[in-house]
Amino acid sequence: MKIVILGFGAVGQGIARVISMKKDYLKNRYELNPQIVAVCDRSGAAICETGLDEELLLQTKNDTGKIALYPDYGFPDRDSLQVLDEIEYDCLVEVTPTDIDDGEPARTHIMKAMEDGKDVVTSNKGPLALSFQDLADCAIKNNVEFKFEASVGGAMPILNLAHETLAGCSIKSVYGILNGTTNYILSRMANEGSSYEQTLKEAQEMGIAETDPYQDVEGIDAACKIVILANSVLNLPVTLKDVKVEGISKITSESISLAKKEGLLIKLIGEASSDDLEVSPRLVRQGSPFAVEGTLNVATLKTDLADDITVVGKGAGSVETASAILSDIVSIWKMRS
Amino acid sequence: MRFNLVLDVPDVPGQLLEVLEPMGRLGANIVAVIHQRDVKTERGTVPVHITIEGDKEILDKVMDALESKDINILEVDGVIRKEQITTVLVGDIVEEDLQDTVSKLNKLNTVKVADLDLKMSDEPRNSATMMVIEADFGQRKEVLKNIKKLGAQKGFLVINEV
Ligand SMILES: NC(=O)c1ccc[n+]([C@@H]2O[C@H](COP(=O)([O-])OP(=O)(O)OC[C@H]3O[C@@H](n4cnc5c(N)ncnc54)[C@H](OP(=O)(O)O)[C@@H]3O)[C@@H](O)[C@H]2O)c1
Repeated sequence: MKIVILGFGAVGQGIARVISMKKDYLKNRYELNPQIVAVCDRSGAAICETGLDEELLLQTKNDTGKIALYPDYGFPDRDSLQVLDEIEYDCLVEVTPTDIDDGEPARTHIMKAMEDGKDVVTSNKGPLALSFQDLADCAIKNNVEFKFEASVGGAMPILNLAHETLAGCSIKSVYGILNGTTNYILSRMANEGSSYEQTLKEAQEMGIAETDPYQDVEGIDAACKIVILANSVLNLPVTLKDVKVEGISKITSESISLAKKEGLLIKLIGEASSDDLEVSPRLVRQGSPFAVEGTLNVATLKTDLADDITVVGKGAGSVETASAILSDIVSIWKMRS
Repeated sequence: MRFNLVLDVPDVPGQLLEVLEPMGRLGANIVAVIHQRDVKTERGTVPVHITIEGDKEILDKVMDALESKDINILEVDGVIRKEQITTVLVGDIVEEDLQDTVSKLNKLNTVKVADLDLKMSDEPRNSATMMVIEADFGQRKEVLKNIKKLGAQKGFLVINEV
């Protein structure tokens, strides 16, 4: 299977790493031989029709920051769309940064690949949160597979769980803790009685919160995931602007300590059902499955036959997120062969 | 023994059967069913009065079965059942007249503020209050919506239960 990776940051590199680590496993178990035939970042591309070396890709990016400096097969100034035009491949892995204003450049990359008849796997929330239905229609029209497990909850399986494992159930609603950064901040505030501002600053120093934390702390990132869940699992044709969003920046240590007295914790919860699309701080019971600490994510599917199903897992991380992308690649491979 | 129940049942085909099924299955004797389709609530449900007879053990099992099917039991033998709702409000609780907040909540249909805790902050707008509110069974959604509305009017952040 020939793979093109657009974007070579934390997730893109994670994919190269897991493909390198799992070569024998994939071959023995699925007769799958994934070949990375092109990788792009902002410096340009590395291209080789017979397959690039994963370790050399990682080393080049690590040492120079530029994938275009890949020995012999590096092409500076070659942009992603040119690469998609020029090269023979089976599956696009789109892992450029999330943009929530127009979903670009990922939206154009994904559409082009699908129109060219290629399968697509992505972890990018932007295009999904803004134009899910267009993308899903495009995939159907061109008869290609389009999978995005990693876009919700990183390594935590939720979309494929709902579609495949729970194939016989109707899902009535979904709710969960879908943002690791805010869960880390709220857990620390609850454990240490510290203020929001101070805890955010510490999380930034530790690299858990971004320098510009806006999308995480104001609930936008969680809202994107709620849109993806609503479309994919509940079949609701909604976009980001349909979600009521309240973040955690107004949470005070006073409110957390009051809640604790009653055995409750404050968590940022996203909820999707046919009559509610919302991200807001909510009260959960200590000791319940939602009382997770640190950067963990958790989600519950309310089903008709199986009642509640709850999953917990790592919502981010290079190899963790790549694991979800690899699952999508394997499932496309199984379908195609 | 005998239970007089009032249940809150969605007015869609098949729902009444859904309610009666566990009664039959568990061996309770159904004495009477009054299905008042003309008194539909705002939520699109109708109250169904059912009288069942049987051993206490059987009747308890029926109640458990109804609850596990998410069927709202509004009354048992004329006693209205209550549920507790906990909420936390963040903001300038005192400046925005706490007494007025409580009395506005108490004016909502079937609602009573049963307990209240307050935590003041040096920065007044960081103060918080936690309330335990009692309301009739089946009213939770409506009550939560109204708390949000009141919070928005007073500029509070409202933190409701999941
Ligand atoms: N990190 C996680 O744990 C995680 C979890 C779930 C989902 N996601 C999603 O996965 C995606 C990737 O995340 P990440 O953490 O890997 O981001 P990242 O570390 O910022 O990496 C983004 C990569 O995209 C490249 N890029 C930017 N514009 C491009 C363009 N026009 N064409 C080709 N490449 C371009 C960047 O190039 P340069 O290297 O040259 O700057 C960089 O290599 C995002 O959409 C994110 O929301 C991430």
